Amino acid sequence: MASKHEVHASNTREAFANFFKGIGEYFSDFGKAITKGDIGVKLSTIFMGAGYFARKKYIVGILATLFEALFVVMCIFYAAPNLAKFGTLGTTVRSTQFDPVTMQNTVIKGDNSFLILLNSVIALFLIFVFILLWIHNIKRAYELQQDSEKGMHINTFVEDVKSLVNGRFNITLLTLPTIGVILMNVIPILILIAIAFTNYDQQHMPPSALFTWVGITNFKNILSLSNNSAFGYAFFKVLGWTLVWAFFSTFTCFLGGIVMAKLITYRKVKFPKFWRTLFVVTIAVPQFVTLLLVRYFFGDTGIVNSICSSIGVTDFLKTIGLVKSHLTYIPFLTSPGWSKFMIVMINIWVGVPYQMLVATGVLINIPESQVESAKLDGANAWQIFWHVTMPYVMFVEGPTLITDFVRNINNFNVIYLLTQDTFVTTNQQLANANAKEVDLLVTWLFRLTNDYYNYKMASVIGIIVFIICAVFSLIAFSKFLSGGREESYQ
Amino acid sequence: MKMRKFVALAAVASLLIGALAGCSGTADEGNGGSAASDDAIANLIANTSGTVSLTVWASEEDQAYTQGLIDEFIAQYPDVSFDIQLGSESESTCKDTVLTDIEAAADVFAFADDQINALVDAGALQPISAFYTYDVAAENAGGAVDAATVNGQLYAYPMTADNGYFMFYDSSVFTADDVQSLDSMVAAAQAAGTKIAMDLSNGWYLYSFFAGAGLELNLNDDGVTNTCTWNAAGGTDVAQAIMDYVATGVVVNMTDDEQATALANGEVSACVNGTWRAETAENAWGANYAAAKLPTYNLAGTQTQMSSFSGCKLVGVNAYSDQIGWSMLLAEYLTNEAAQVGRFNARGLGPSNIAAASSPDVQANPAIAALAAQADYATPQRVGGNYWAPAQTLGEILSSGNPDGIDLQTLLDTAVEGIEAPVA
Amino acid sequence: MENTINDKVISKNDTLAEKELKLRSKKKSELASTIIINVLIAIFALIWIIPIVWLLVTAFSKYRGIDTAHFFPAQGWTLDNFKIVLFEPDSVVQYMAWFKNTLVIAIFSCIISTVFVLMVSYVFSCMRFRGRQAMMKFSIILNMFPGVLSMIAVYFVMKQLGLTNSHVGMVIVYSAGSGLGYLICKGFMDTIPTSIREAARLDGASEAEIFFKIILPLSKPIIVYTVISAFLAPWADFVFAKLMLNSGISSDWTVAIGLYNMLGKDLKSHYFSIFCAGGLLISIPISALFVLMQKYYVEGVTGGASKG
Repeated sequence: MASKHEVHASNTREAFANFFKGIGEYFSDFGKAITKGDIGVKLSTIFMGAGYFARKKYIVGILATLFEALFVVMCIFYAAPNLAKFGTLGTTVRSTQFDPVTMQNTVIKGDNSFLILLNSVIALFLIFVFILLWIHNIKRAYELQQDSEKGMHINTFVEDVKSLVNGRFNITLLTLPTIGVILMNVIPILILIAIAFTNYDQQHMPPSALFTWVGITNFKNILSLSNNSAFGYAFFKVLGWTLVWAFFSTFTCFLGGIVMAKLITYRKVKFPKFWRTLFVVTIAVPQFVTLLLVRYFFGDTGIVNSICSSIGVTDFLKTIGLVKSHLTYIPFLTSPGWSKFMIVMINIWVGVPYQMLVATGVLINIPESQVESAKLDGANAWQIFWHVTMPYVMFVEGPTLITDFVRNINNFNVIYLLTQDTFVTTNQQLANANAKEVDLLVTWLFRLTNDYYNYKMASVIGIIVFIICAVFSLIAFSKFLSGGREESYQ
Repeated sequence: MKMRKFVALAAVASLLIGALAGCSGTADEGNGGSAASDDAIANLIANTSGTVSLTVWASEEDQAYTQGLIDEFIAQYPDVSFDIQLGSESESTCKDTVLTDIEAAADVFAFADDQINALVDAGALQPISAFYTYDVAAENAGGAVDAATVNGQLYAYPMTADNGYFMFYDSSVFTADDVQSLDSMVAAAQAAGTKIAMDLSNGWYLYSFFAGAGLELNLNDDGVTNTCTWNAAGGTDVAQAIMDYVATGVVVNMTDDEQATALANGEVSACVNGTWRAETAENAWGANYAAAKLPTYNLAGTQTQMSSFSGCKLVGVNAYSDQIGWSMLLAEYLTNEAAQVGRFNARGLGPSNIAAASSPDVQANPAIAALAAQADYATPQRVGGNYWAPAQTLGEILSSGNPDGIDLQTLLDTAVEGIEAPVA
Repeated sequence: MENTINDKVISKNDTLAEKELKLRSKKKSELASTIIINVLIAIFALIWIIPIVWLLVTAFSKYRGIDTAHFFPAQGWTLDNFKIVLFEPDSVVQYMAWFKNTLVIAIFSCIISTVFVLMVSYVFSCMRFRGRQAMMKFSIILNMFPGVLSMIAVYFVMKQLGLTNSHVGMVIVYSAGSGLGYLICKGFMDTIPTSIREAARLDGASEAEIFFKIILPLSKPIIVYTVISAFLAPWADFVFAKLMLNSGISSDWTVAIGLYNMLGKDLKSHYFSIFCAGGLLISIPISALFVLMQKYYVEGVTGGASKG
């Protein structure tokens, strides 16, 4: 155990060392290129195409210079006007004057803090990317210079293009997905991070009002309990349930899937295909339909309650104390305890068929030899399950288990659809922070932004959620992604 | 064209001065608008080139009727080409969609009056400083105009005045005398073996008990936070009264849709609800369907009249609309007397227009009559967003008989703390 | 399970007569356990199928609201709900328009997503270059970020591009970031032996040729898996769709928003059975897709899951 830890720690340390070494090399290469480069290389710090012209690569040279010109145009017409206001996020408030004669508004156009923020972030990102490409370009020019000094062949334009489907195929393949990710993931996350440092809330809502930078005030508010007790209290309470939920929902579905798969593939079971199809059908009905349906199914005056009270289950639960005596129904989705239990149960209902499908596939692939040898050693079915089947399944499904765990931390659909509008908290402190016992961090955030327009706080909590998930998955994945695991099967 | 505009400008100058001097409105009953406003409209028509594109949001249930009004509106101005899109957006959640992106919201939208403060704060509503086809302030009931007014400025056109609640009852179970007091209602329901439903775990309805006892809940001047005195002297008596009624087993806490089902099943013979449930109740009780103002309740030995929130539905014009003039005209058209009469006939919604409300048809409608009777005890709904969650929780605890046995004063103190909490 | 194996172990030492006796009792116990296990699985199946049955029967119910007292429609059966959904659009129910919108969005976002995932997976699985590990880790972290949190920012980015209230915008929202979900697909490609690629390279094949002519044909199961997953997303999402398609024009909506809208406060007592009918109708093609593709789907996900 101890040695394992050490190995792990040294891996991490090594990774860090490599990371910084990489950065160091990156800049020392750049310095070398600038100091040792010839006039072409040096000129390419100003005209990006210069280095290529020096090596008679005219087309690439023109393209590079065009790219640079485009960047300058972007800077003048897009980046500069926005970045100029980035420090204040705008100063002019929109105002209008209605003229009853013309029936028109005379509008003094105001600043829109959000758009300034958004466009500035995009502009800064573009500038950052440009700098990276600019450095890369200079290094590339120096490489070309070295190649030509050594008398090596310098690729023609056609050869360059051809390399995009061969040696540099990765660039070809990754370009579009990367642009997509930047657009949909990176930029929005950067904006979210920026908002956490502003006072963007219902009283400061663009386009009619401005918001501005407030430093780390929002972070202080959430982390110091004394300042805003309801909020801090709710945060830790919600965080606790989020983790408990993620743990239980992940493992119940995982184990349920394996048990179900084992059961269906068991040789004594008749019509396994029929049963499996039956379960698979439940996946095919979209989640929001089934979940909303189930919510009414288990409602306080829902059909399950009607049945339970007519066959005496409600009264029985009352006598053993699981249902409070004043109730005439079972509060499946309305009392904190019951609803947490039911949410996990309903999640099993939703998740097990899918996990069963996966587990069926995994179980089929279990190396027969291992099972046979265990049998020869006199192991019973139970022992085989625990000592042969489970380790194999864990090995195969480990990575997905982690993804599932993180996904469950952010499982918006199940919680939102089952409890929105129906669950009422009886914890007044939670209610004061607009939270509920059954809330996950994401559903709480969703309510904060959607109903209360508290974007600044939502961003702070969003960042915290992100950090939790990122740290968790990094630790877990460094175990699965590092070392020879990748190549070991190829 | 330019010349004409100039003339019109001069002609309307007097109107402008008049409006600024405080006699807002240009209505001239009978012919629908004075010469000055007619000039303004003519001016607008003259200055409109190309297609006027507008979006209107009305609730799902109001789609068919609103579409009819829009078609009539378009027909009124044969010289202008319109492209008016009708979208559906529930009046009760309109604010959420509008505030997310005001610029993308409809030019004209209908919403419930409780959202007006948030909408005005966000600068989403065009102030209405002139009327063109009818006098909005004079032709609508005072309560409705107040509901559309923030800090002395009118921001919306009243469309209905029935967004409040009262008591529906089955007249085969309760007599008209029974429904005067909650105690006699409980006795009658007990005798008949039925129940009285009310959505207690909902701040909107819970308010009726506390406000009836004279305790206050007000919106502060900032338009976002609340002042609440429910934990003052007498507050615990109200809480105890609610718990006592629930303890009889006759008064039950049911959400609106649970009430719908329970009505259909015949489980409840009376419920506190609004005009939107009139149809369900009428279907369930047939000829015995009746409605009345809210009853009195037993507050520490004294019979106290239950209060309520009154509510209106309003039509607002988006301050960011490119077609402010046409949007205002359309909003006026959607809310004028004829439109309100038509809306009552088509959907049974109570008019805010005084003339429309005094028609015999409207007067004969039990639900509208009950609402009118309740109006004396009702207050417009002016509460900040932080009211709802704590009040809901308080209602839930009281209606479940305070299962954890928390001291009632503590319970109210915590609730008030949440209701008055600043917006984080 | 336990019994049968123990029986086998013991039976080795039995005499022939005892064996026969055992065999008979074993047959009996075998029959008993067969019954027990089949009953057990039938019970499970029942639990899983009950809500679906409720969906089915409610879709045929004459009563439009939520009947909390009866499982089977008490007021009689009707096909009207389906008729409304399919042939009689009103302002609330524009089902065929929604279906068409969703189908178009799903098809395009599915194509783009699948292409993106395959491209990224190939690069990470089959090519070696500087910064690969770092990029992979970075992608994994980014992928952990729940979309709900950055929704507003995404909305305004799309608005800047003029793509709100447009189905093109929806396609981009659903597919642009899909490259991050490469993990399972890459895992699958990792199982394709390196030797195949090496041999092709020796024959002078370029990376592009290897990708198109060797890896893609071998990745059929994972392609099916990716296609199904990507195709299903637009049918289930109502949060993003509601935010992006905010004009209120119901014929522009997707199925998910439309159906979700039917359960709004004012509508559900009139539209619940229609909601069920609509929900049932989308389930049919999806179920068919699932059942038909089950084999590939399982192969894909398990092949991919077998390594991170």
